[in-house]
Amino acid sequence: MMLLRAGALAIVMILAQPVAATAQDESVVSVSELLADGRAFAGATVTLEGELVGDYGFRRDATMWTQLNDDPYARNPLVDSGRRAGANVGVGVRMPASLAEGLDPPGGYRRKGPLVQLTGTWRFHDPDRGGESYLEVRSLIVVEPGRHIDESVNWAVLPTGLVAVGLAAALWLLRRRAER
Amino acid sequence: MLIRPVAEDFRIIAYYLGRIFVIVAAAGLLPTAWALLGREWHPLGSFLVMVGLFAILGLLGLLAKPEEGRLDWSHGMVVVALTWLLVPAVGSVPLALSGHYGSVVDALFEAMSGITTSGLSLTQDLDHLAPSVNFWRHLLHFLGGQGIVIAALSLFAGGGGITLYYGEARDERILPSVTSTARFIWTVASVHLVAGLAVLGLIGHQVLGFQWTRAFFHGLMVFFAAFDTGGFSPQSTSLGYYHSAIYELATAVLMLAGALSFGLHFAMWRGPRRAVFANLETRTILGTFGFTLALAIVGLAATGVYRTVPGLTRQAFFQVLSAHSGTGFSTVPSVELATWSGLAFGGIAIAMALGGMASSTAGGVKSLRIGLTLKAITNQIKHVLLPERAVVSNTYYQSGRKKLTPELAQSAMAVSLLYVALFLLGTGVAIAYGAPLQSALFESVSAAANVGLSVGVTDPTMPMALKLVYMLEMWAGRLEFVAVFALFGFVIAWVRGK
Repeated sequence: MMLLRAGALAIVMILAQPVAATAQDESVVSVSELLADGRAFAGATVTLEGELVGDYGFRRDATMWTQLNDDPYARNPLVDSGRRAGANVGVGVRMPASLAEGLDPPGGYRRKGPLVQLTGTWRFHDPDRGGESYLEVRSLIVVEPGRHIDESVNWAVLPTGLVAVGLAAALWLLRRRAER
Repeated sequence: MLIRPVAEDFRIIAYYLGRIFVIVAAAGLLPTAWALLGREWHPLGSFLVMVGLFAILGLLGLLAKPEEGRLDWSHGMVVVALTWLLVPAVGSVPLALSGHYGSVVDALFEAMSGITTSGLSLTQDLDHLAPSVNFWRHLLHFLGGQGIVIAALSLFAGGGGITLYYGEARDERILPSVTSTARFIWTVASVHLVAGLAVLGLIGHQVLGFQWTRAFFHGLMVFFAAFDTGGFSPQSTSLGYYHSAIYELATAVLMLAGALSFGLHFAMWRGPRRAVFANLETRTILGTFGFTLALAIVGLAATGVYRTVPGLTRQAFFQVLSAHSGTGFSTVPSVELATWSGLAFGGIAIAMALGGMASSTAGGVKSLRIGLTLKAITNQIKHVLLPERAVVSNTYYQSGRKKLTPELAQSAMAVSLLYVALFLLGTGVAIAYGAPLQSALFESVSAAANVGLSVGVTDPTMPMALKLVYMLEMWAGRLEFVAVFALFGFVIAWVRGK
């Protein structure tokens, strides 16, 4: 029995060794860095931090696909009084569906998605997925939960619109009357 | 001698513009209803402003009903050129008010890109954009791809249709009357809309695992952009967002359908299908697609960035089809696309420049012109090489046997050369602002051929002059120059005529 336990322990240590070694190589990179030279990171363990946006696509192979953005809008979306800072910068991520359980809804209109730190393997032009590039996530830490955003409505626009439509309707009525 | 336009000319133009604006106002009710149902109060107000403006302009135009003058060729061309300037101008209002654009010019750029089915975008924080505004961006693709004027023609019977129809860069009348042709075009689009939305929605839910509403939202947006060879996408990572070969395949079918001429759709629906492959245009586009795809595959294989043949083929096929059809969807990020060099770059750039078929929703030089030019050159070479008495056939097959006259060949070559000049204009301006030659050329071709693929030059921070030049390229490229020249001629006649 002792021999069996020692054997099992040895196997666990051998299996754990590469993970520990990889963990030492982990580095936090930005999505821009990753995309600028995707080949340099191919197969490496990287950590990304940003907002999950769009959709959570739970697929039949028990994985979930979504998009991680690490642009300035990840913390301050425009709809939440953020400043304009160019286009979004994001990348596709895939994770075991179990890892995504309980996550707040992804970011979108009037919705700030959860800010997360994802660690996983950068699959660059993955031959098993027809040359797609994405992060194969192994661990997920929620840095900041998602939340609803109250949009600051410019209330001058709505009445202006109603007046414009009202004017158009009046013009149409006048035209119809003139035609009769 | 230039003849100065008189008041009646302006009345005719205003009247027809008015008819078109009323139609666009009606189309604007769709995003308005979307915003209302979604309780998107800020976008709702901006859509009401836009609909109100379109309706007021339209009704004022209708008040200018001409007494007896009919729409002649030059009126029609001016109406079309102005339509494609004024509709994006007013249509940019909800975009400008959304707060997602750096300036009014950026919003106008987006609307021009949308209506001309280009797909270059200056949207900031697209991933948090209101769905109704996103819908409007894509609806602009649909309106522009099908032809705004076509929409007006299909609803209003009456004189002047033929000149408006040709002004919008439609080369062939499929059915005896322009109105019935316009209705046929909308029927084709409607059938594809129902089928495309169903397929994309089902894949979105069943394969990608999206919620039903989101699956159909994505399906609708992607349909508009694919079938109308536009290129906007609901998320910032374009088609790469979906990470699905089957979704790409369904989208590719729609892109292909959009790049086919409506005449070919008609032949496939009702005519002898064998004739489809006898067409000069079909043969030309198959040849150029095969050629540019081979260039891209060889170029990418040489760089060794893709390790397997299926991966390399899938990525090259999608990018080249997107470029050749003038769609502009991408499954690789623009920073990576910018690193495609040599033959891969050449394949994509040539595919963008050549474009789809004439009388389709695609942009670019168009396959028919390429085919006619190649045939004319081949005939010239044969004349030189063969004995003097040898007879060289100067006919071609395009929905029937037709004669390749010198005038026709010259016309095809002249328009092709104008496209080259337009490509060089944008390239030169971008280089003047410090862009590398390859990127400058790529982006300019993308704008003028209404494609939308980008290697990163198009950006909210790019110089104002470059934004204006790209807008000019998108506008002139979409209208294939004739209507644009007619508008310039009209303005010159107004200023200098007697």
